[in-house]
Amino acid sequence: MSEVIIEVGDRGIREINREIRVACEAGSKIRVTNTLSRHNLGVGLPKGGEIIFEGSVGYYCGGLNTGATISIERNTGWAVGEGMTDGLITVGGYAGMSAGAAMMGGTIHIKGDSGPRCGVAMKGGHIVVEGKIGYQSGFMAHSGKIIALGGAGASCADALWEGEVWVAGEVESLGVDVDVLEPTAEEVAEVDAVLEPLGLKDTSREWRKMVSGQRLWYFESRDANAWLMI
Amino acid sequence: MCGIAGRILGSFGKLGDDLVELMDAQEHRGADSTGFAIYGAPREDGYILRGMGFDREQMSGDLDEFQLLLKEHGADYIEEPTIITDDQKHYCFRMVISDPRDLTSWITEADHLSDHIEVQSCGRSLEIIKDIGGSKQVADKHGVRDMFGSHGLGHARLATESSVLPNASHPFWARPFPDVAIVHNGQITDYFTWRDRLQRQGYRFLTENDSELIAVWVSDQIKAGLSMEQALKKSIDSIDGVFTYMIADPSGIGFAKDRFAMKPLVVIDQAGDLAAATEEQAVRRIFSGECDVINHDGPGITDFWPAVSGRLAA
Repeated sequence: MSEVIIEVGDRGIREINREIRVACEAGSKIRVTNTLSRHNLGVGLPKGGEIIFEGSVGYYCGGLNTGATISIERNTGWAVGEGMTDGLITVGGYAGMSAGAAMMGGTIHIKGDSGPRCGVAMKGGHIVVEGKIGYQSGFMAHSGKIIALGGAGASCADALWEGEVWVAGEVESLGVDVDVLEPTAEEVAEVDAVLEPLGLKDTSREWRKMVSGQRLWYFESRDANAWLMI
Repeated sequence: MCGIAGRILGSFGKLGDDLVELMDAQEHRGADSTGFAIYGAPREDGYILRGMGFDREQMSGDLDEFQLLLKEHGADYIEEPTIITDDQKHYCFRMVISDPRDLTSWITEADHLSDHIEVQSCGRSLEIIKDIGGSKQVADKHGVRDMFGSHGLGHARLATESSVLPNASHPFWARPFPDVAIVHNGQITDYFTWRDRLQRQGYRFLTENDSELIAVWVSDQIKAGLSMEQALKKSIDSIDGVFTYMIADPSGIGFAKDRFAMKPLVVIDQAGDLAAATEEQAVRRIFSGECDVINHDGPGITDFWPAVSGRLAA
């Protein structure tokens, strides 16, 4: 299969995204070069697409992905894979704030650390972070799993709905209304099944599974002081 | 949403060009006004003033009044005012004055004229240039690209809390302390509480912009004897809101980020040759090759980067 090279530079992002889409539809593998950390690259890509972004990208890369396999060599800005429904996004380095925000399906694999509010409001799918997840990760996640192999920053798993945050390693502090559970062997097997295709399965890990304490679900304003940390 | 930037050159040079690029790359974050704070070659004595008058029809009267006040405070022009105008109603000026007997009492009185003529920066080396329009528009009007310096700040404003006015744009001078400037990205939610408190202490606010509060608050901390680093740290628990702001003085640039980790700051630091901005694509205008990028994404962070002049002194 031929590889199509698409150069970013200072060209318009819509034009570039159109070229990426056309190449995806033609079944070509795509390499995007000279990305210069620009925003909105590779948004809304179709199932079956295979795209590599050289260097670092800006905000919303791979957003609304419907099934493409996207690889970013180095870092991403805000909200990589925002709103994606399917596919795989691999980030070689650090993923900025709100990675996988409001995603509904698919997997985001981050090889470095992730910034604050990783998986904010996610509604499905998996975010696997080999490093540490940042401040307030999982904030208001509705569903899906965030799996961190290198610990978590402060206010971890803050105000969850039915999302889960799994952490191997140190957790700086918990967010509000978090229950920390010992996962069952079956649940660990489910997580390992997510990690295995990424080559990250390791049965020796000691997991902490964080879920909502479900008290904040029934928030009443007279209880505000019990919740507000400010 | 605004965009901010800081730049420290490895050696004294064409700073203006870099700041214009840093802000041009972030113009989509706010293009209603743009501003720059440039630390040029420091003077031994005398202050460079930058400012604006709000009605160019009244310019000669304004300036006469301004000069008269200077004389009352034992100062005068060293360099006559240079005027910059376009088709807008306001005019901008640059002048160099000899040292007033007491800078604080002079600027306090000069601020009584601020309904028609306003000093926007005062320093041995600091010059604040700010105006309505995008980065290139403001830079072309004021010749920013050709300005030399050691370090400086930039700001692209999207006015969310107050009107678009030429004097309500950033950077803000932390009057009455010469050579101190701030830029801010965010919102200060306890602005009115703080403004009220500081006004009772005698501070004057010249705009309705919540970011001006940071400049005044910082002045109050300097007055209380805090170092820049101490003030930056203290601000995180003292000021409520979402913010990333930078303060510059002749020794370098510092920044502080709020407790909620809302507003980003991206830095490339190559042995002190440094660019910082809200967005990575801006710092990439300065350092386009592969290099390490620091994302200050966490909550409650402060840091200080010395400028070349500060490094030599240290």
